[in-house]
Amino acid sequence: MNTEGQMTYIDLKNLKAISRDDTTRMHKYLVQFEQLIPERTHELEKALTNQNRLRIRQILHKMSPQLQFFGIQNIMVPIQRLEFEYETMSLLELEQLVKEIIVRLQGALSEVSEYIRLHFE
Amino acid sequence: MLGYRVPYLRYPNISVYILNDQSTKSNTIGCLIIDDDPFIQDLLMDKLQQYFPEIKVLGKAMDGKQGLAKIASLDPDLVFLDVEMSDMTGFEMLSQLNTIGFKIIFITSYKHYAIKAIRFNALDYLLKPFDLEELKNAVKRYKETESPSTNLVLHNLKAQNAKDQTMILRTQQGELYIPLKDIVSIQGERNYSYINLVKDKKELVSKTLRSLEDLLEEKGFFRCHKSFIVSKNHIVSVRRSSIILSDMTEIPISRRKQDQFKKWQEE
Repeated sequence: MNTEGQMTYIDLKNLKAISRDDTTRMHKYLVQFEQLIPERTHELEKALTNQNRLRIRQILHKMSPQLQFFGIQNIMVPIQRLEFEYETMSLLELEQLVKEIIVRLQGALSEVSEYIRLHFE
Repeated sequence: MLGYRVPYLRYPNISVYILNDQSTKSNTIGCLIIDDDPFIQDLLMDKLQQYFPEIKVLGKAMDGKQGLAKIASLDPDLVFLDVEMSDMTGFEMLSQLNTIGFKIIFITSYKHYAIKAIRFNALDYLLKPFDLEELKNAVKRYKETESPSTNLVLHNLKAQNAKDQTMILRTQQGELYIPLKDIVSIQGERNYSYINLVKDKKELVSKTLRSLEDLLEEKGFFRCHKSFIVSKNHIVSVRRSSIILSDMTEIPISRRKQDQFKKWQEE
């Protein structure tokens, strides 16, 4: 979130549309994000340490709909590259892209946590 | 067994199962969501509840194994099935069934390699995280399609050889079932194609030659010319720049395809 309180990583447009002013539903998706993303980020780090390219692809494949839903658009390009080129890409580039994704995930996660704190606690 | 077996009129040697449709149960469509991502399960369930009051979510399953158990216990009319699950693919799950008494809408994160198999079987798919218009169209197609083709899909999944499979094409008149072994050649005519079958039968379909080439890739077919696809099973002889097929037609091989054709023949 920037100094004016605007989100820089996430866009809650889809979440607001599905929630239709139902705060319980909105809270459910936000909490789910807060729970699933650290779990999956950890799995991603583990797969990167083990240089397990297939596992990296599988984790990203599973995560991508939720990331799209939360409007983290700038993360989709590196994810799609990894999904399609995970076997052939150099290890160095693979590492760079995964790390780039993790940084953005952490940014998105802190914005979601902040949003929960401001609106639901 | 929920249905009865009848010969398909166009091809009397094919039998299909006519399943008791949902109208005999009630107007509510009972559905099952099979996906290993809790976010996707929740999102789809919420969208269905909000926009499709006629659809009742009977249950959710996290993987293929759980999916098989829930299909048996819940007897759904419609299954939203993930293409890629942690323990098996959606197709692997389906092939473990003896009969399919429900319709299927596949769900996938991107235009996966499995899309080709989905299209070959004229099944529906949705891209996650589900555009509302696409979901509405898929549900509309579900309601409009009276086809009993899901058991042909099962037949295709269990077929050991591609030639034993049956291509399912959606046409304006309904669904068309074409056993691959009966296709001699296909001739493209702009947005239409003539499928030339054994015994001098012919079907005109509103599919481009390119889209049929895509569906039939690695199933014993080769596009030897910009206007023709031929079946390996029906090649009688090969000349320098043409092929004679079992219906005694002569199909040209374009010059730039000749080397590729030789390789394909030797495979």
